[in-house]
Amino acid sequence: MAEFNLFDAEERTLEQAEALRRDVAGSPQPVRDGLDALIEAYGRSVREQRRLVKVSDRLQAQLAAVNHELGRRKAEAEEALDRLTAAQESLVQAEKLASLGALVGGVAHEINTPVGIALSCASHLADSTARMRELFEADDIGVDDFERYMATATDTTNLILANCERAAELIRSFKQVAVDRTTSERRKFDLGAYIRETMASLGPHLRQAGHAVSIDCPGGIAMTSYPGALSQVLGNFVMNSLIHAFDPGTIGAIAIQVDQPEAGRVRIVYSDNGKGISEENRGRIFDPFFTTRRGSGGSGLGLHIVYNLVTGPLEGSVAVEGGSAESGIRFVITLPLVTTPLH
Amino acid sequence: MDNLKVAATERSPEVDFDFERGVLRLRGESYPEDASTVFGPVFAALEGFLADAGRRAIEVEFDLTYFNSSSAKALMNMFQMLDNAAGAGAAVTISWFFAPDDDTMKEFGEDFSEDLEHVSFKLVPVG
Repeated sequence: MAEFNLFDAEERTLEQAEALRRDVAGSPQPVRDGLDALIEAYGRSVREQRRLVKVSDRLQAQLAAVNHELGRRKAEAEEALDRLTAAQESLVQAEKLASLGALVGGVAHEINTPVGIALSCASHLADSTARMRELFEADDIGVDDFERYMATATDTTNLILANCERAAELIRSFKQVAVDRTTSERRKFDLGAYIRETMASLGPHLRQAGHAVSIDCPGGIAMTSYPGALSQVLGNFVMNSLIHAFDPGTIGAIAIQVDQPEAGRVRIVYSDNGKGISEENRGRIFDPFFTTRRGSGGSGLGLHIVYNLVTGPLEGSVAVEGGSAESGIRFVITLPLVTTPLH
Repeated sequence: MDNLKVAATERSPEVDFDFERGVLRLRGESYPEDASTVFGPVFAALEGFLADAGRRAIEVEFDLTYFNSSSAKALMNMFQMLDNAAGAGAAVTISWFFAPDDDTMKEFGEDFSEDLEHVSFKLVPVG
């Protein structure tokens, strides 16, 4: 076979036509002119076809290259998005751990007081007992000494008992909050009691600065939901107030109000009387990594986590209201009393 | 004669000519830089095979998802060769495969079939 030629058949036809032209050289002029014109037109048409095929091939190759590049960039963008999502998840996780760390710090601080009182009472009782033993061994106990010792023993043991009970109670409630935070277990709980436990565990952060906390929740609201998530939400609100709402040295107020606007749902309004949030930032407050405190340690994830927890496991909604400079900030959460189990 | 088997590349189709069974198949995409490297061997083999095909049955399958203008011209030439062989007595069947949502590829098949006089031509939706 001769060299490959897409227009092999056309060229052979042209060659045959040339041969024919030679064969009919003796024909009348109009026949020869007509044949010349036909051969000329056919040759031009084949050349035009070649050009078109070439141009079209080039365009199609360019199109293919562009498509290929497009696919590559799309894959790159998707990969970048995956990496970003992974990074975001790990940051969210880190933020959760950090807030758990703050909780543990708070617990340690809170328990320090009753344990300290119990310790000094026990030490005082031990001293008094040692003195009594000396008097007893010298056979020199007077009625006054004995009465004084009895009073000391009664006072100190009462204080030791009361403070140990206080510590045990604190540990019980912290344990509940901490376990809920780490295990994300769905269970039945009393909303009012749980909010109070959570706020108690955050107490040290608030009391150090002298901020006042008021909780207004009707008794007997039973929820079947994720208390750990709720605790995390409240904790993040408090951290938000401490970091953003109150300037150092000012004494603020935080209020939590609960009501039931409709059957089966509960509304929790968290508010503070701090600096509020500007109109332009309000729409972005739940966005991941949005922070006005990037330089001073804000991760921009606290309220994003709130948003994820409320709209995720808690199956509710969260909105920010008000927020002008004077009125502070108001977060309104609406939750179902009973969530659907995840599994 | 020897069968012709060429693996597909990014820009050229898989060629699977089983001359013994009389089944010839082109599958994939076709927009090669140089049509002669891809279609040169195909045409040479096809020409050799059809030269003494006699009255035997030949099945040809085109399963292409994309081709450029040179390839279209090459396909047209192949159809011409097959139609000539069918005119000379071979029982040639051409199956043109296309994805049901690919109207362009279906129309190409219909266009090609218009020039065929002796070949039995089938449009086959796949997938």
